[in-house]
Amino acid sequence: MKPTAFEYHRPDTLERALSLLAQFGDDGRPIAGGQSLVPMMNLRLARPLHLVDINGLALCDIDQQDNVVRIGALVRHETHLRDPLIARHFPALVEGVRAIGHPTIRRNGTLGGSLAHCDPTAELPLLCMLHDGAIVVASSNGERRIAATDFFEGAYMTALEAGEMIVAAELPVPGGAHAGAFEEMAERKGDFAIAAAGVVLGHENGRITGAKVACSGAAQAPMRARPVEQALNGADLASPGAAAVIAGFLETMDPPGDHAASAPYRRALIGELIDRAMTKACRRALEAS
Amino acid sequence: MITITLEVNDVSRRVQVEPRRLLADVLREQFGLSGVHIGCAQGACGCCTVHVEGTPRLSCLTFAVQCDGKAIKTIESVGGSKAEHMLQTAFRTEHGLQCGYCTPGFIMTLMPFVEQMTGERRMPDEAEIREAMSGNICRCTGYHGIVAAVRKAIADSLEDTERP
Repeated sequence: MKPTAFEYHRPDTLERALSLLAQFGDDGRPIAGGQSLVPMMNLRLARPLHLVDINGLALCDIDQQDNVVRIGALVRHETHLRDPLIARHFPALVEGVRAIGHPTIRRNGTLGGSLAHCDPTAELPLLCMLHDGAIVVASSNGERRIAATDFFEGAYMTALEAGEMIVAAELPVPGGAHAGAFEEMAERKGDFAIAAAGVVLGHENGRITGAKVACSGAAQAPMRARPVEQALNGADLASPGAAAVIAGFLETMDPPGDHAASAPYRRALIGELIDRAMTKACRRALEAS
Repeated sequence: MITITLEVNDVSRRVQVEPRRLLADVLREQFGLSGVHIGCAQGACGCCTVHVEGTPRLSCLTFAVQCDGKAIKTIESVGGSKAEHMLQTAFRTEHGLQCGYCTPGFIMTLMPFVEQMTGERRMPDEAEIREAMSGNICRCTGYHGIVAAVRKAIADSLEDTERP
């Protein structure tokens, strides 16, 4: 199929873009890389009446202010892979971004686009949640910051309101030594994941000082595995031994069963991916210390 | 209708398009470039890959209006009428194609990869080659021939650039 008709706008400034989005409300959508929105339009699952092309806006920077790294909404996936700030502070993010789609999609797709699209097993929503990130959204009324844990509300549903658009994600810089890992399972390389897991470990003297664990595939949006995080705090990097807690955490889940995976398979898979990511992060932490 | 200027295969032309027209359709119908193939129209198969300002891009996920003033290259710009680009030759000798529907997309996706490897003067391992072509689907060859073709194109290109 082909997209339905729309009017095309290409503003030069953020101010102008926001005023157009305010004017169009629910009928307007920003477009950047188009790697999620255009398939939706081709399938007529999305039928915006106005497209506001934001590719010309200055939202392409990755920079650090105090203890926060701010990643502009127009940063292409591929750019994350060669940015020194991201490499130093968020190794799990680098590994996760490598799993997004394929090279052509990574070259063109943007951070803001992936966050706004909010596919249930997309990598970037999970990674923002994993890193205690905040999504910065702007409208003609100003800016607001929404914690990633509140932003992703469900499959293709976010806290974005009509007239708002994502301008950046902000990730707090980890203090002290840290390691991270990301694991995902898809039927084919680059396909939509069935499930994924990310782990970030702060560590000192061979012990975990603060763990963050997030997973997708269990529900309509990614989630943090808080009980697993608590069990890992203070654990020995050489034998974190969280198997019982992971098993308990999986019991609290009610994953969907569908053509890609039955509910029990999905539950087992999430446990396996959390375990693999945790083991990999521990190994990396030990190698670095 | 919006009037835009597209520089396609080194020729600049003004065309009138509806905003909803995909770059793939405009290239095929208004520029007569039928080498731009449309497979899935949702970013899964890579058939429609063209270069926009030198970068591979899925033309079925791109509106032509977004490309106003930009330089676009399609398979028609590669290797002349006998398709004699090194990668095209390697696809022929290594059985990198059968029905040929996916081939323009593969070539446009892999050309920058072959150039990059030649620039870095190294032969990538099989996993790297498969990663580079992971966005393109082929239903005939089983991919082994395509991997072999990429390897041959890089080998030939490295040998070529070694000559004084």
